[in-house]
Amino acid sequence: MFHWKKLGRIFDPQCMASPAWMHEFAQSPATIITPHTVRVFFCTRPAPSADGKYQSHIAYLDLDRKNLLNVLNISAIPVLELGKVGTFDEHGTYPVSVISHQNEIRAYYAGISRCESVPFNATIGLAVSQDGGESFHRLGEGPVLPYTPDEPFLLGSPRIRRFEGQWQLWYVAGKEWRITENSKKEPIYKIRMATSTDGIQWNKVGRDLIPNKLGEHECQACPDVIYRDGKYHMFFSYRDIYNYTSREGGYRIGYASSPDMETWTRNDDLIDIPLSNEGWDSEMINYPHVFELDGSIYMLYQGNGMGRSGFGLAVLDKQSIWS
Amino acid sequence: MRWKKLGKIFDPVEHQIPNNCVEFSQAPQSLVLQDRVRIYYSTREKDASGKYLSHVAYVDFSRDMKDIIGTSQHTVIPLGKLGCFDEHGIFPFNVLKDGDRVLAYTTGCNRKSSVPVDAAIGLAISHDEGQTFSRIGLGGPIVAATLHEPFLVADAFVQRYGDTFYMWYIYGTKWLKFADSGQHERVYKIAQATSPDGLHWNRDGKHIIESKLDENECQALPTVIFHAGKYHMYFCYREAHGFRKESGRGYRLGYAYSLDLIHWVRDDANAGIDLSDEGWDSEMQCYPHLFECDGKIYLIYNGNEFGRRGFGLAVLEN
Repeated sequence: MFHWKKLGRIFDPQCMASPAWMHEFAQSPATIITPHTVRVFFCTRPAPSADGKYQSHIAYLDLDRKNLLNVLNISAIPVLELGKVGTFDEHGTYPVSVISHQNEIRAYYAGISRCESVPFNATIGLAVSQDGGESFHRLGEGPVLPYTPDEPFLLGSPRIRRFEGQWQLWYVAGKEWRITENSKKEPIYKIRMATSTDGIQWNKVGRDLIPNKLGEHECQACPDVIYRDGKYHMFFSYRDIYNYTSREGGYRIGYASSPDMETWTRNDDLIDIPLSNEGWDSEMINYPHVFELDGSIYMLYQGNGMGRSGFGLAVLDKQSIWS
Repeated sequence: MRWKKLGKIFDPVEHQIPNNCVEFSQAPQSLVLQDRVRIYYSTREKDASGKYLSHVAYVDFSRDMKDIIGTSQHTVIPLGKLGCFDEHGIFPFNVLKDGDRVLAYTTGCNRKSSVPVDAAIGLAISHDEGQTFSRIGLGGPIVAATLHEPFLVADAFVQRYGDTFYMWYIYGTKWLKFADSGQHERVYKIAQATSPDGLHWNRDGKHIIESKLDENECQALPTVIFHAGKYHMYFCYREAHGFRKESGRGYRLGYAYSLDLIHWVRDDANAGIDLSDEGWDSEMQCYPHLFECDGKIYLIYNGNEFGRRGFGLAVLEN
């Protein structure tokens, strides 16, 4: 079992008087550990446009490594500009995953562009920082992970890792857009994986990794993987295709483990992090990011409304069993 | 190169076309069969919002290209599913015989919000001599946007030379805003890819054809044939804006040749074909396609108004 002890909310963008681009939402936290801080990258949004549409930008904040509840610093401007007109990421950069590599930080993110027949499409881009994450530049104007015959749209939720000298990308791929009873269009997407020797040219494994629990219309997201005690452990999010903004249908945290990153055994029952009775994470706990720091295992996660009022932290009980 | 124009050979308004299409027969593409030459084209239906959807249809000619002997009365390939790259049209539809199968390299388009469309290249396969085609996979593309080819990946033309498949295609380099145009206008250039199997493509994104007008020259629909020791390419090119209405800014045919399938020399002066003084191809020539049948080399192409009223034919003279 993985018993998580909640340490509380770290950051709520709604409490900030400024800036305007950080009006609400702090989503998909992802960490870079430095000698004195933990830099947490996240995605945030300005107020929606008059017709209710959002943009999403990548930001960071620095946590005191000695006391992770202490926010030292918040980025003054987005670390990556949105894409140019007509490119895959012109309307948003969300979610984001980061990794240190040879004096650089690479950010793999889902770029959002709005469409006519469906609300949006997404695919995964790559941007690099040479100044510790203050600013990022794209490697190209297009995506690093292209659509392919079996992954026709909605490539998102990237999680970047390096294991055994190889680059690993977990992500989700859209399978189908469904029209719901109230004529809304809702996508179904599943967790997939790709491998690479350089993090740029990717070989897709080409199959869904995680068995469904809610049925074939289950939506899976945010496959965050950590290696521990001889196994790979994946903490991810899943939800029903319908009614997902409510407490009942919303994203929950799932768990799967694998000896080789290819075959995964799902066992959500091993996760013990209940919703709070009230407050910012009383309806949703999702988009987990699990990392090790100074001998402890932590989980950052977003709360109610898909992180509308920020993200928080939990620490793994030392009695938890990994194998 | 010297071409003898044979005139317009197909006008869509003179035929019954399926899928509620009434005008346009664009980007004609050939499939030479035992008893006929099948010419695929893209035609248009207006949807409920008044915007166009491009559907694939075909017309069969006798092998001497003199008589129409049939037209498709069915759906050759349905449009893509909701949210897919080819949901709003397929244009062009390039076919290649592969044993008992016919491969179709489709250019699918889907409407966007900030710009009119995006596009990518798909693969569909026929087992009935090209009457109907099914997509591979879940309906995604085989050649789509990548880091350095960010959008509008389109206009595939595929040939096999030796054991290698070659694809000539275009990709978008920028969307520009001009004073004379309400919407963003695209710039795209010709590139080349190779493949061992026709499915997995190696791309380097190099622009293989030098621009002649200016850096914003738009180059489209390359087509290649091997003849007399050289690879010959025709394509069409135009100005980036004002090309719909203003004379002199619309599509013309360009020409290039190569000895090694790597280096291409642009040589429009030797294209051997130009606008007519009057008639169906007097203002515009576009969407060329080269093919060989019974020892003759043909160039089939669209004329004025991007092929609203059909396509015509020319034959290579010795």
